[in-house]
Amino acid sequence: MTTTELAPPGAQAAKRNYSFLFALTLLGLLAALCIVLTIANPIFMTDRNISNLLRQGSMIAILAVGQTFVIITAGIDLSVGAIVGFSTVVIALLIQAGVPTSLAILITLMVGAGIGMFHGFGITRMGLPPFIITLATLTSLRGIGLVMTNGSTISINDKGFTEFATQSFLGIPSLFWMVILVSVPAYVFLDHSRWGRYLFAVGSNRESARLSGVSVPRTIYLAYSLSGVFAAFVGVLLAMRIGIGNATQADGWELLAIASTVIGGTSLFGAIGSIHGPLIGAFILAVINNGANLLNVNSFWQRIITGVLIIVIVFFDQLRRRSG
Amino acid sequence: MATETESARPSGKAGPAAGNDCILDLHGLYKNYGPIEALKPTTLSFRRGEIHAIVGENGAGKSTLIKLLTGVVRRSGGDIRWNGKVVPLGNPLEAIALGINAVHQEVVLCKHLSVAENIFLGDEKVRLGLLQKRRMKVLAQAILDDLGFNISAGATLGSLTIGQQQLVATARASERGIRFLIFDEPTAYLTRQEAAQLFTLIRRFKAEGVTIVYISHRMEEVFELADRVSVLRDGNLVGTRDIADTNEAELVSLMINRTLDQIYHKETIPQGEVLLETRDLCGKGFEDISITVHAGEIVGLYGLIGAGRSEFALSLFGRNPRTSGEILWKGKPVSITSERRAIDLGIALSPESRRDQGLNVNLPIGLNINLPIYDRLTWGPLVNAREEARSADRQIADLSIKTPTRRALVSSLSGGNQQKVVIGKWLNHGADLFIFDEPTVGVDVGTKAEIYRLFADLLKRGAGIILISSYLPEVYELADTLHVFRGGKLAGSHGFRDAPDESVLAEAIGV
Repeated sequence: MTTTELAPPGAQAAKRNYSFLFALTLLGLLAALCIVLTIANPIFMTDRNISNLLRQGSMIAILAVGQTFVIITAGIDLSVGAIVGFSTVVIALLIQAGVPTSLAILITLMVGAGIGMFHGFGITRMGLPPFIITLATLTSLRGIGLVMTNGSTISINDKGFTEFATQSFLGIPSLFWMVILVSVPAYVFLDHSRWGRYLFAVGSNRESARLSGVSVPRTIYLAYSLSGVFAAFVGVLLAMRIGIGNATQADGWELLAIASTVIGGTSLFGAIGSIHGPLIGAFILAVINNGANLLNVNSFWQRIITGVLIIVIVFFDQLRRRSG
Repeated sequence: MATETESARPSGKAGPAAGNDCILDLHGLYKNYGPIEALKPTTLSFRRGEIHAIVGENGAGKSTLIKLLTGVVRRSGGDIRWNGKVVPLGNPLEAIALGINAVHQEVVLCKHLSVAENIFLGDEKVRLGLLQKRRMKVLAQAILDDLGFNISAGATLGSLTIGQQQLVATARASERGIRFLIFDEPTAYLTRQEAAQLFTLIRRFKAEGVTIVYISHRMEEVFELADRVSVLRDGNLVGTRDIADTNEAELVSLMINRTLDQIYHKETIPQGEVLLETRDLCGKGFEDISITVHAGEIVGLYGLIGAGRSEFALSLFGRNPRTSGEILWKGKPVSITSERRAIDLGIALSPESRRDQGLNVNLPIGLNINLPIYDRLTWGPLVNAREEARSADRQIADLSIKTPTRRALVSSLSGGNQQKVVIGKWLNHGADLFIFDEPTVGVDVGTKAEIYRLFADLLKRGAGIILISSYLPEVYELADTLHVFRGGKLAGSHGFRDAPDESVLAEAIGV
């Protein structure tokens, strides 16, 4: 009887290595894409193009990391694109009003956290599904941003602020450094703090988490606030890059962020996810986008390719999980 | 063994009867889930047009039998013969095609659709590819009126009482040309009047030659309705009787199980201070419950499912706080408003449903074990990985949880080992009062014995235990004090073995 109850040790070991293998596969895919594109068009590997690619990918990568916290709790945050757009408006108005840059950034991040808290409130107190409450914010935040600016674009005349986005440090674009700045603490938080454990527990089985003394509402507030802060941070970076505040910016980025997260092996049913997965996912999407531009592939096709890629990667991931 | 000879009796009796008047015969029908035998080889014949009651404690194998007959689960061995011919019965559609149907205790219909739509669900009347809504409504109303139900076919199912929904489910079954109809505790949620309507209907089915299998805990219903009655105990068919040849006392004594002493010997442990006392505690699902739990004592809560025991336990654990009454913890009045508060006081709960309430099955064993105590396993703002590993490995070793590593997912474990994980997480936390709600459901005998030994260890350490079980031998043999729940109230309280187990069962059933 004891032998039948024991799963074969081999299967266990395979399961343990599984997430590592999946990450390797994704990295391999990313490398393969780069090699193919370099052969197809030598411009791909130039410093200029790589810097450009890293800048494009960085912002989605940060959004995807924030999104991952939420998806691990079996939720979804559709508002992140709108928060990005709204944050560009907030920071542009603050800088225009003469608020010191660092304070303006801090206030913008707090606005992002506040929006996340509102989502937490809607989910835990009003009992709304995450999809609905964040969908509502998605549309209304863009509206609020437009009302605040009367539909116009606020330009940012602070040179020091906008220059940051074009700078490089050690040959790597500053925007990509921001990804590292964000994802290292995010990794420590998710994998080495008890709150990270609680995110997984709530996503896996809310009732059991609650009966184990985990505060489910607090955990949900935390996940959505983090997602909001990350999105506001991306808003700040975007404002630096384009030098304007406009509520219609970052249209559809929430879907890119969710796609990156899912490609990175995060389960939409919750309780499965990592930080490195969504990062790689975001850069796979960025490479496809960049490569398609270089090869003069119609941008309509880029969308189709992205869709097919999501289906293929997630399908194989599910297949492996089931057999593993 | 006494059970051997007893179980041979029904087959001997049913054997000669298995001629033309038998519609469904079971020959050595058998079902196991891994090492757990849910239904041991069973031989039984159902006669055409009889009402055959099946009684037994929770976990005796009744629901397994229904699932086998309706094709919901596949048998592990044996034959099912329909009109003398062996049928595979591998899926529900096949059962329906034969004319076998079941009406479940919980209504499994679409609450958002109308009564008529539910009655014809999956069998819609269609012309030219379009639904004939009006015709279905008229037909449905005719069926309902014919059955004597005062229900409108146009009403939304969800707007009806549970009892009325049950009647709709029966009407739905009657529309399908049924030959064999199983009722699983149909009157649990019915009013007296609705139950009377249902009985009339059942007798009518019988008159039309339909065979009825009637599963119930309520003895008075069994004696009012049934022609024959079969008793299941621990997955064994222990007897089939003509209703005229038996009485309540005999059925109760057949249902009673006395096999526990083979794996458990009660130790005498001195009782200490009073840990918990409730005074006339009322809440959602229970009323006026007064119990006392001492250190070193097992307090058993026995009753049928839905008798209010789990609701009472959840309330003690901070869910659905009391509406009135008092809780005293170590002599001081307390109010327990959240799970965290209960845990901080020193109360631990191993809940009724492992999968739904007790475990995060798609997460590692270690994380599950440590979940209540992560606030202690810290190193500054971070989790202390070494302490975390040590704490998980200690429980895996102490409880001999069969896994190669704490990183394995809980879903890879057997039921018994999963239960140990639930228990392990509270052992690390170190509570004073442990509430175990059905700790041995779906657990093999060896693990059961380990769990019972663990109870004794906890008691010796000065903890108190509330043990909730629907398995009478378990609470009867283990509990120092035994409280019987019925309909949300205390139906009786006993010291260790100071009342015969028959009378405890009788109190729970309400004979």
